[in-house]
Amino acid sequence: MFRNNYDNDSVTFSPQGRIFQVEYAQEAVKQGSVVVGVVSKTHAVLAAIKRNAEELSSYQKKIIPIDSHFGIALAGLASDARVLSNFMKQQSLSSRLTYDRAIPLSEITSRIADRAQINTQQYGRRPYGVGLLISGVDAKGPHLFEFQPSGVTQEMVACGIGARSQMARTYLERHLDSFEGSSREDLIKHALRALKESLSQDKELTVDNTSVGVSGIGEDFKLFEGQDIAEWLDATFENREGGGEEGGEAMETDS
Amino acid sequence: MTSIGTGYDLSNSVFSPDGRNFQVEYAVKAVENGGTAIGIRCKDGIVLALEKLVTSKLLKSGANKRIATVDRNMGIVSSGLLPDGRHFVSRARDEASSWRNLYKAPIPTSSLADRMGSYVQAYTLYSSVRPFGVTAIIGGWDSEAELPVDGQVGAGPGVGSGGKKDGAKHGGPYLYMIEPSGLYWGYYGAATGKGRQIAKSELEKLNLSEGELTLEEGVKEAARIIYIAHDDNKDKEFELEMTWISSTTGPTKGRHEDVPKELREEAERLAKKALEGDDEDEEEEKMQE
Amino acid sequence: MNHLPQAWGRPRDDIYGAYDHAHFQTAAGPNQHTQSPIVTGTSVVAAKFKDGVVIAADNLASYGSLARFTDVKRLRKFNETVVVGFGGDVSDMQYLDRLLNSLDIRENYSSTDDPLNAKNLHTYLAKVMYKRRSDFNPLWNHLLIAGLDGESKPFLASADLLGTTFSSPTLATGFGAHLAQPIMRRTIPDENSVKDVSKEDAVKLVKECMKVLFYRDARSMDKYSIATITKEGVELDENVQLENQSWAFAEQIRGYGTQTA
Repeated sequence: MFRNNYDNDSVTFSPQGRIFQVEYAQEAVKQGSVVVGVVSKTHAVLAAIKRNAEELSSYQKKIIPIDSHFGIALAGLASDARVLSNFMKQQSLSSRLTYDRAIPLSEITSRIADRAQINTQQYGRRPYGVGLLISGVDAKGPHLFEFQPSGVTQEMVACGIGARSQMARTYLERHLDSFEGSSREDLIKHALRALKESLSQDKELTVDNTSVGVSGIGEDFKLFEGQDIAEWLDATFENREGGGEEGGEAMETDS
Repeated sequence: MTSIGTGYDLSNSVFSPDGRNFQVEYAVKAVENGGTAIGIRCKDGIVLALEKLVTSKLLKSGANKRIATVDRNMGIVSSGLLPDGRHFVSRARDEASSWRNLYKAPIPTSSLADRMGSYVQAYTLYSSVRPFGVTAIIGGWDSEAELPVDGQVGAGPGVGSGGKKDGAKHGGPYLYMIEPSGLYWGYYGAATGKGRQIAKSELEKLNLSEGELTLEEGVKEAARIIYIAHDDNKDKEFELEMTWISSTTGPTKGRHEDVPKELREEAERLAKKALEGDDEDEEEEKMQE
Repeated sequence: MNHLPQAWGRPRDDIYGAYDHAHFQTAAGPNQHTQSPIVTGTSVVAAKFKDGVVIAADNLASYGSLARFTDVKRLRKFNETVVVGFGGDVSDMQYLDRLLNSLDIRENYSSTDDPLNAKNLHTYLAKVMYKRRSDFNPLWNHLLIAGLDGESKPFLASADLLGTTFSSPTLATGFGAHLAQPIMRRTIPDENSVKDVSKEDAVKLVKECMKVLFYRDARSMDKYSIATITKEGVELDENVQLENQSWAFAEQIRGYGTQTA
């Protein structure tokens, strides 16, 4: 039987120069429910689909506020994201303490990227199994960064990661030119629509399964959930039957 | 590669019976897939250029800088695994800073290349790590001026300071390239990544060892070479990233900086023109045939 | 009660006998760090004005009462928005200068981020000073941080060897705190009056203070550095000669040594 010998650890290159363990970690991101992020000239928005393990359990957190000026959305192993988010919280707090300065988003992004890289070069470690969207506002305006388990980070105008996120990205690419000048409300609508694209036909965005994180110039990062997003959902998907609150049956459940 | 599958290529730091370290060779493969990176050592400075492949429309254009500054007077551009490149740069910055701590002066480019060569080589020695999946080009300008020691707050006596030779020259532009094995050489023109073969043959045509090419010409040549080395068929779009370093009296005042937008755009315009020119020539040749 | 601060919080010698540190493992007694500065710079004076800050310090480094080095630059430009003025120990100043240098190198790795402003730098330096004094190993300096804050408004604050921070529209360290500060307060008594002060007025005021300090401070000299920080950047002159001196007032001084009249 064929067996790939080059995929047992992250310190072995394949003859093609690939590191399979890192690529497998990237697969873990694709198992997570979808999250999207969009930026305009003034605002940065994150939106996410939450899953619950069973009907009676709570939903898995998808968006984590880190500091008053930014937050993250995650796809993949939530516990890995918690380790990274704790680290980010410490780092941004330390920036505020030592310099009285909100840490620049590019800086915090590269700090977790450097950590992630070490996990791909030393034996006995595994790459992080989570992808992040880091979004917020610093001295240079709104930003959106994508973080991958490989340690690759990229600044994006818009991005989607997680299960079936290709659909969301296609939507975002199609509307790419309209983001920069978008108002806060329009940007949130775009994010929700992109999110909806990635949902299978029989599923809907509801107040229970959707999270939205918003930040802007002069506006701190805030996480919106539950009834706080009902109006946005109604405004975005005006002509759908039902409404925001009756999505119970359509809820996605992980098996 | 006949020895693949014989088991000698499964772990780092293991020699095959014919004396090869396969994991290092595989790391080189990772480099060969990366965007082309080049460095040119000109008469009065260094140019670093990079073909940054655009993998998604959603990327913010002009952001995601990949040519990094080390200390103030050196730049590093690399090809291969991006996160490994960042690790490399981070180590280089630590080396430069610890050198300053000890010697109260900037690290010479040659010493940085030497230390980074040793660092990269160490990652070929143990089975607990893997080699770096990058080839990095280090360019720097070692100051030709007499720099004050860090922290110096006044000048010493105007006469009688010992150890100085009249008319002795030091400093200038330096360029090194470090491979995943830890091997490094000094270069007049260095190229790595996908388009390195084409880039190398173009660099050879510049007769860099004669030391006649000026920095501004170097910028234009670098842009042209990146455009030539770019493979239109396989990769559609790319961004050109370029940085330069001049003497303390030149345009960057001894610092490693982005090539100014106007100059870069001018260089890109000329590069595109040169490419079109080539195509026309080829067509003409075909016609004549 | 013994009013000397060094006696506070320890057993009284007259009751318990002199402190016996024989129980320390080291023969030399307890570890001791710097007890006093060695080569020192004297006052730094600074004042805010309408759209910036002016700061000055003379170019002398004294070894006790000896005028040891006469070309020591005690104003250090950090970037286009911050200048730091150092009073106190010169070697500690050089250490801090190298620290700021390495910070500046790190800050410039990313050309896209916002540079550290005066407020950021003051927070940082105050932390460094406080950490060192808490280690019982202080950096023997009194710093003035002059420049612009995050809103590009004039910023002026101090940090000293104890980690104490203070902010005011005019500030002076060392002898200047006694001699220059009252003069500057005549023109700029509070934050509200800053907006009525032009750059020329502020420079003139600070130069006047440098003159008074040279008259009365025996550890000062007549060559100094002066810097102004505005939105246009930093203007630093490290070789200003004190002008229009008049020692006529010296005749009026009474009370020191022999007087003939």
